[in-house]
Amino acid sequence: MHLPIRLSKDSREPIYHQIEKQLKALIAGGQLPAGSPLPSIRMLAKDLEISVITIRRAYQNLEYQGFIQTTQGKGTFVAEVEDSMKHQVKVSAVYESLEQAVETAINYDYTPAQINEIFQEILRRKKGE
Amino acid sequence: MQPFAEIKQVKKKVDEFHLGPVDLTIEPGTITALVGNNGSGKSTLLKLMMNLAAPDEGLINIFQKNVQGADENWKQQVAYQPQRQVGWDPFTGNALKDLISPLYPNWDEELFIEMISMLDVPLTKRYSKLSEGLQQKLTLALTVPRNAPLLLLDEPTTAMDIPSKKNLMDILAEWMDQGERAIIMASHQSENIMKLADYLYVLQSGKAIGHFEKEELLEGYKRYWFGSELPDTQIPGEVNRGTWQVISNQPALAEQFFREHQLPVANQAGLELEEVMTLLLTREDE
Repeated sequence: MHLPIRLSKDSREPIYHQIEKQLKALIAGGQLPAGSPLPSIRMLAKDLEISVITIRRAYQNLEYQGFIQTTQGKGTFVAEVEDSMKHQVKVSAVYESLEQAVETAINYDYTPAQINEIFQEILRRKKGE
Repeated sequence: MQPFAEIKQVKKKVDEFHLGPVDLTIEPGTITALVGNNGSGKSTLLKLMMNLAAPDEGLINIFQKNVQGADENWKQQVAYQPQRQVGWDPFTGNALKDLISPLYPNWDEELFIEMISMLDVPLTKRYSKLSEGLQQKLTLALTVPRNAPLLLLDEPTTAMDIPSKKNLMDILAEWMDQGERAIIMASHQSENIMKLADYLYVLQSGKAIGHFEKEELLEGYKRYWFGSELPDTQIPGEVNRGTWQVISNQPALAEQFFREHQLPVANQAGLELEEVMTLLLTREDE
């Protein structure tokens, strides 16, 4: 099984956190429904060319937050996640993307009014699609 | 959990070559790559672990047994693949399997068959008639299915084609998942197989340069590009400099320096493992 996880070595974000975030997004977005089996730590480590230490850290954090469950001898599965938690993941993903976009604009010395104008234009274009 | 192998302050002199001191502990569930150039001491270290050579100083324990002790039962729990097989030339793959498999009570015939078919190895040709790549594949198929918890591989893939290397990585990862196991493999710095490792033990001309967890090492290096010439001052952690670009192994300090000196970073990127190894192994030359 290959999970659609794409890691960026160029990001400031540590690798384990990237894995954690992308798995959360797949779970919140419904691509990985409750009960879906996840690859073993070793197999995911091989696929992503990452050490088992890093994968284990990501899995442990996800387990602690209730996104996945590990059953001894059976493997790791997606847990039942409450809608409110899924909602929270989506909201923070959207916030983060917008924050990054705004940061880029500020770095290029755009004014709040100009940023707003670009945002409105993108919205109009997306609605038209 | 007890470590599978402990190497403590091991030193070995072979003619003009000095290995060590080597300190290395191998925990179950881990894959460790011994990385270094030719003649860095990787094979010597594996031979010392197998008690095929005696260290001048230090101690090696495998499964809590001193490898130089009279009791050699620990060897049952180790599968070792040397770079060259002595005495295999006149035998076919089939004959070799019949000789080797009865020696190992946990021999996994199914895995042997799977490896032979995945790696496409003819079993009816004499070992001496096989290409170097096929010899390596057959050797692996006669080593991994021994199902000893500790697997020692000496440059297992140097002559193998790229798809076979990938297949082998799949096989080894699956093998690791079957129980409490560990792999130590010697790998040239440019070999893809080191990407399978969790830890890298880097050797240069017999000297241990470091024992690294892979991501910890990778996250410690960053390359920065600039829109103009850099000042002559040394950047914190600077290990390499090119036209309008610099590599630092102290990214946090380097970025602070760039801010303080108003040097706008045009772009930044992480490094590939191979690149980091090259930097580690060339820097020590100077």
